[in-house]
Amino acid sequence: MRRLLFSAAICAMCVTGAQADTIHVLMENVPDTRYVQDLLPEFKAQTGIDVEIESISYIDMHSKLAPQLSSPEGGYDLIVVDFYWVAEFTQAGWLMPLDDLIKKDNVDTSVYLPTLMNLVGKVGDTTYMLPFYNYSMGIIYRKDMLNDPKEQEAFKAKYGIELKIPTTWDEYKKQVEFFSRDTDGDGKVDFYGTVNQGQRGDCISMQWSNYLYGNGGQYHDANWKATFDGEAGVKAIEDFKADIAKHGPTGAESFCFDEAANVFGQGKAFSFVTFNILLAGFDDPKSSQVVGKAGIAANPGGGLNGGWGWAIPNSSPNKEAAWTFIKWIEAKDAVRKRTMAGGAPTQAWAFEDPEIVAKRPEMGQLAILVATAQEFPTFTYTVDFVESLGRELNLAVTGQKDPKEALARAAEDFNKLVVKAGLQK
Amino acid sequence: MSSVSSTIRRAGRICLPHAILIVFSASILLPLIWLARVALTDKLTAYKIPPEWAPLHFDNFIEIFVNYNFAGYFVNSMVAAIGSTIIALPIATAMAYAFARHNTGGATLRLFILASQMLPPVILVLPMYSLFLTAHLLNSWSGLIIAHLAINIPFLAWMLVAFFQGEIEQLEQAARIDGASRFQAFILVAVPVAAPGLLAAGLLAFILSWNEFLFALILTGKSTNTLPVGLAGFQSQRGVDIALLSAATIVAIIPVMVLLPFMRRYLIKGISLGALK
Repeated sequence: MRRLLFSAAICAMCVTGAQADTIHVLMENVPDTRYVQDLLPEFKAQTGIDVEIESISYIDMHSKLAPQLSSPEGGYDLIVVDFYWVAEFTQAGWLMPLDDLIKKDNVDTSVYLPTLMNLVGKVGDTTYMLPFYNYSMGIIYRKDMLNDPKEQEAFKAKYGIELKIPTTWDEYKKQVEFFSRDTDGDGKVDFYGTVNQGQRGDCISMQWSNYLYGNGGQYHDANWKATFDGEAGVKAIEDFKADIAKHGPTGAESFCFDEAANVFGQGKAFSFVTFNILLAGFDDPKSSQVVGKAGIAANPGGGLNGGWGWAIPNSSPNKEAAWTFIKWIEAKDAVRKRTMAGGAPTQAWAFEDPEIVAKRPEMGQLAILVATAQEFPTFTYTVDFVESLGRELNLAVTGQKDPKEALARAAEDFNKLVVKAGLQK
Repeated sequence: MSSVSSTIRRAGRICLPHAILIVFSASILLPLIWLARVALTDKLTAYKIPPEWAPLHFDNFIEIFVNYNFAGYFVNSMVAAIGSTIIALPIATAMAYAFARHNTGGATLRLFILASQMLPPVILVLPMYSLFLTAHLLNSWSGLIIAHLAINIPFLAWMLVAFFQGEIEQLEQAARIDGASRFQAFILVAVPVAAPGLLAAGLLAFILSWNEFLFALILTGKSTNTLPVGLAGFQSQRGVDIALLSAATIVAIIPVMVLLPFMRRYLIKGISLGALK
């Protein structure tokens, strides 16, 4: 009897949870995940399928996913994939192609913005994911200041042009300079034109990309040969360095987006080149002093594109139910509800939907931002490239290395990595 | 004049150690006080420079239990830490006794045990994942306890060897002369004498398991996530939710803070007992 009870207790402890009517999803702990969670009771009512979402931090997702995806049978039926990992996951054969399911169920993928479908949808001619949400980068700015008639008059008097949402990089640079101010007369700038994130790695690489595009640069040519070490790249570093030294807060060389966002949220900066999804946070009185004052604009020359896609792993124990869920959550009704709640859509119609626009007037600018976004080089060794680029950029903006030398080194690393990945002929 | 200088010297003798202790104590306590302050405010106030002393509130503590599964994380951490410590302690005690008294396995086995502690956990976690997948132990309390045993048993065995060396052996021999069997000498003499050390080692094993992150991240799922995994979740692509993270950190350190005053006596005695051998 004792043995029986012991065995029963051990069995009760082993919660493997592989019930047929439950799908297990791994997601990042962000608001867009919460908007999905809010809709789960509706999905359950309509399909009878339970959805168990496990949401963890971004930095832990890759570590958690790698063993799951490389096993013959994993614990997740459905996952979300950041654009960083697309090449790695698809080349490793971890994701299930969705084309047959799309064809069978007549799912219209033309509703997705092409920039996002290319980023987190298709790889070559195969569809591995359906875009979930975008986090393309743009300029978050103080609309109360930009629209202030006194500021507009002073700006025109100084530069001879209108103060408005910038359409050229030079126009934005002028605005950054104009709004950098010494408000207490101690000779130091204490209201900043912009806030930079100069920390090595991902932080500086992502933000600097916008400076590169703003200066008319690109990462590589059609043969994947590095071009970012050209004139535009050097100018981008010089602009970034000047913004840190003259127009930004002390310590911005080691900021990442959280520190930078807090400077803007404290009402101490005019603008911040960052992910569009941060905008909602600036309207939260718990974390922002600029509630109702922040607007968003596309980066002149295009901002860095970013996004997540829904994918079914080959190791998924319940592929059919996972596909049912993807179809449901990406259907018009669910997308509208998620976007109304504050989500960042990937389908073109959502940016023009009257109901959504009435609640979120920034959708017009967001549409331009996402449509003009430029793609960061995504290939098997993207993570290695970001490490090299981030290190060299940080050395350059902190004055430890000449910008040309830093870019030359990063370009050399890039060329080696793309050759290794078989992309450069 | 000499009485003045001797007064100054005496004051210096009293004040200097206190000043040094205050500086060291402050370096440990100030981050904790700041953590508590951030936990009792919101993100906006937490990041204000210069700092602003807004009214304190418990909203963050309420939110981590209402909107996040912190009660579940807490229970999972408690089960894993208590379970692995309770199972590891007797096994490691027997191992340590065998090493100390009978030199079981010789230096090679001890070296292997030490080497298992020197391996980066990430090397162990992938094969462990495959094994657990086959044995259906993923996302289960039993799996998590087994994973933590893999860390705790070698650590405890290595630590406890010193407690069974020295005078304890003579006490055991005395017991054997009085008619005790080997097992009785171990249970009735060696273990009670080494009890402070066992308790200290048990407490350290509990803390090791309580703070363990990598195995918990890879081997658990939604229903078995532990506190360190839950804490990491407050860092997202939209920034660090510093106020909630601070509140959750306070909750995570409560058990150890509650345990420490009771265990301090044994911890100091136990560690010094082991160190002196």
